[in-house]
Amino acid sequence: MRITDLLSEKSISLNRTLSSKAEAIDALIALHEEAGNLNDRETYKAQILAREAQGSTAVGDGIAIPHAKTSAVAKPGLAAITAPAGVDYESLDGKPSDLLFMIAAPEDGNLHLEVLSRLMTLLMDETFRSDLLHASTAAEFLAVIDRKEAEKYPETPETVVKQDGYRILAVTACPTGIAHTYMAAEALEKAGKEMGIPLKAETNGSGGAKNVLTKQEIADADGIIIAADKSVEMSRFDGKKLISVKVSDGIKKPKELIERVLSDQAPVYHHSGAKAADSGEEGESFGRKIYKHLMNGVSNMLPFVVAGGIFIAIAFLIDTIMGAPQDSNFGTATPVAAFFKTIGNAAFNFMVPVLAGFIGLSIADRPGFLIGLVGGYLATTGATFMAVGGDVPSGFLGALFAGFVGGYLMLGLEKLCDKLPKALEGIKPVLIYPLVGLGMIAVVMCAVNPFMGMINTGLTNLLNSMGQSSKVLLGIVLGAMMAIDMGGPFNKAAYVFGTAAIASGNYDIMAAVMIGGMVPPLGIALATTFFKSRFNAQERKSGPVNYIMGLSFITEGAIPYAASDPLRVIPSCMVGAGVAGGLSMLFNCTLMAPHGGIFVFAVVGNWPYYLLSLVAGSIVTMVMLALLKKKVKE
Amino acid sequence: MVSKKVTVVNAMGFHMRPATSFAGAMGKYPCDIKLRVGGKDVNAKSLMNIIAACIKCGTEVEVICDGEREAEALAEATGMIESGLGE
Repeated sequence: MRITDLLSEKSISLNRTLSSKAEAIDALIALHEEAGNLNDRETYKAQILAREAQGSTAVGDGIAIPHAKTSAVAKPGLAAITAPAGVDYESLDGKPSDLLFMIAAPEDGNLHLEVLSRLMTLLMDETFRSDLLHASTAAEFLAVIDRKEAEKYPETPETVVKQDGYRILAVTACPTGIAHTYMAAEALEKAGKEMGIPLKAETNGSGGAKNVLTKQEIADADGIIIAADKSVEMSRFDGKKLISVKVSDGIKKPKELIERVLSDQAPVYHHSGAKAADSGEEGESFGRKIYKHLMNGVSNMLPFVVAGGIFIAIAFLIDTIMGAPQDSNFGTATPVAAFFKTIGNAAFNFMVPVLAGFIGLSIADRPGFLIGLVGGYLATTGATFMAVGGDVPSGFLGALFAGFVGGYLMLGLEKLCDKLPKALEGIKPVLIYPLVGLGMIAVVMCAVNPFMGMINTGLTNLLNSMGQSSKVLLGIVLGAMMAIDMGGPFNKAAYVFGTAAIASGNYDIMAAVMIGGMVPPLGIALATTFFKSRFNAQERKSGPVNYIMGLSFITEGAIPYAASDPLRVIPSCMVGAGVAGGLSMLFNCTLMAPHGGIFVFAVVGNWPYYLLSLVAGSIVTMVMLALLKKKVKE
Repeated sequence: MVSKKVTVVNAMGFHMRPATSFAGAMGKYPCDIKLRVGGKDVNAKSLMNIIAACIKCGTEVEVICDGEREAEALAEATGMIESGLGE
């Protein structure tokens, strides 16, 4: 457990002026609360005060370390305050304290003493204390600690001494990979030590895998414990006794797990995918599994969206600077812009297949990857039996379908193949699974895609008939359609309708269409800025890129967010986009270019109102996301 | 110089409260007092040094006193640790 795993930028406050010990305590507790470390603030505060009543925790040299070990702590954490002017913390040496650390330790575990010890070891160094006091930002404060800690405690200081190989190996991992991963590894290693059974734990944390298990170690081990809430590399454990449990079990009952894996009841793991599902005997709920598969797809898709999106935005920027005409060639008018747009589009083309492919991989391992990837690709081309080259794409919703259906089809296929003669065992993964799987996904996607075509045709007819009636209603519908599937039949129908309207001289329709496509990424970007608690760390970090994508009319920026939580994100985007589209129509805004986002605002008729509509729609989406999405537990 | 080995018995080890009272008690003596833990020497009069040593329950500690009133200091130090540091 590293200090910087416990301390976050949120729980640091620098250069404070504190008038009393009571004020200092309140400020530190508020930081813990802000960082989500407490589940019962009042109880925690009572414990802190009870501890202070037994004697001040100011240890001299300007340092105070108030602490409490209580069940009111939700997750272990640290809060830090610097108060250069000092505060009277009733120190033993009678001097004021300027460096305050507050420890929140959960009831179980030895974490408390270890954190205290580490902190003290670091704080004994006077230059370190002064560096902390002079830090001007929380990030700098953390960097100072990180540097010092890396110097004093090189990585993995306390692994069990190897004695004729490890009897048990463990892999720990949690979705965020900050705290639980390491707590579970520590608990397991400690339990192994106490039971006299050498145990090595690999941590698959946010910084990549540490303390990685070697081939030799795996070959020598008696059993494997997987304590993980996300997928870990499993093929290496083929033929070993293995149990797979939640990461929290690794923290709570390490001894029981060690006993279980050594007992005769522990199942032997066969890597083929089919039995991967059985090994999760601890009963992960179905919903949890789905979520795990989904996130595996989304997190692998995200880099494609970000890099490709920025390339396309650069293309628009270049054409704006070069003064290219803002028509349908905008973005590819100059050769340099065309380069960026083409490369950006290349990355975008992979986005949806990658989403489906990694969902498939998560469900059914390597054979699942193939059918997911190909199924996702067929969703983007819209292949049907009649037009196998492609018709109406089913977009990312189709790809989600392809990933899940493909993955589970593969699991079913593997089960069926269990009945085949043993002699065929060798060719199953190299020939039978890929071959039959490819055939299955092709049939499924070609059967599903025509429905997309029907939806598309139906929608186009609907839009045509609506064009005669209310303009504002048409704007609302078009905007919402852009935000439903972001590249599927709805989006496509609206977009084609908009471009067709340009051709026939109606420029107001395209304005409503484009604004509907700009709102989803913008609304999401705003939500990641103002309602951070609704998103995980990865989603928060890629939030700012969505500003660029939204302003450039790159709706795809919203896909990773929509894919990871479709039932909440898509309605939010639809409503916001609908509002923006309706307003754009109401204000009679017009647009002659079929893309370009903010770069073509120069040719937007009535542009100040267009901007107003955009802002209004984005805020609606943000507010809805804040209301609908649940807080993320990390 | 006198010394004696004792084992830490209180469940939480040398956390802040026992370390504070221990360092405070040792501060009264003029002699040098050290704790030898896992091959390292720790100044027994410094709270920060004791905490930093992370001395857990079950650890064997050698108390080493050298100087004026050393026997008296050793007796009090070992007495405190063996009696569970007031816990």
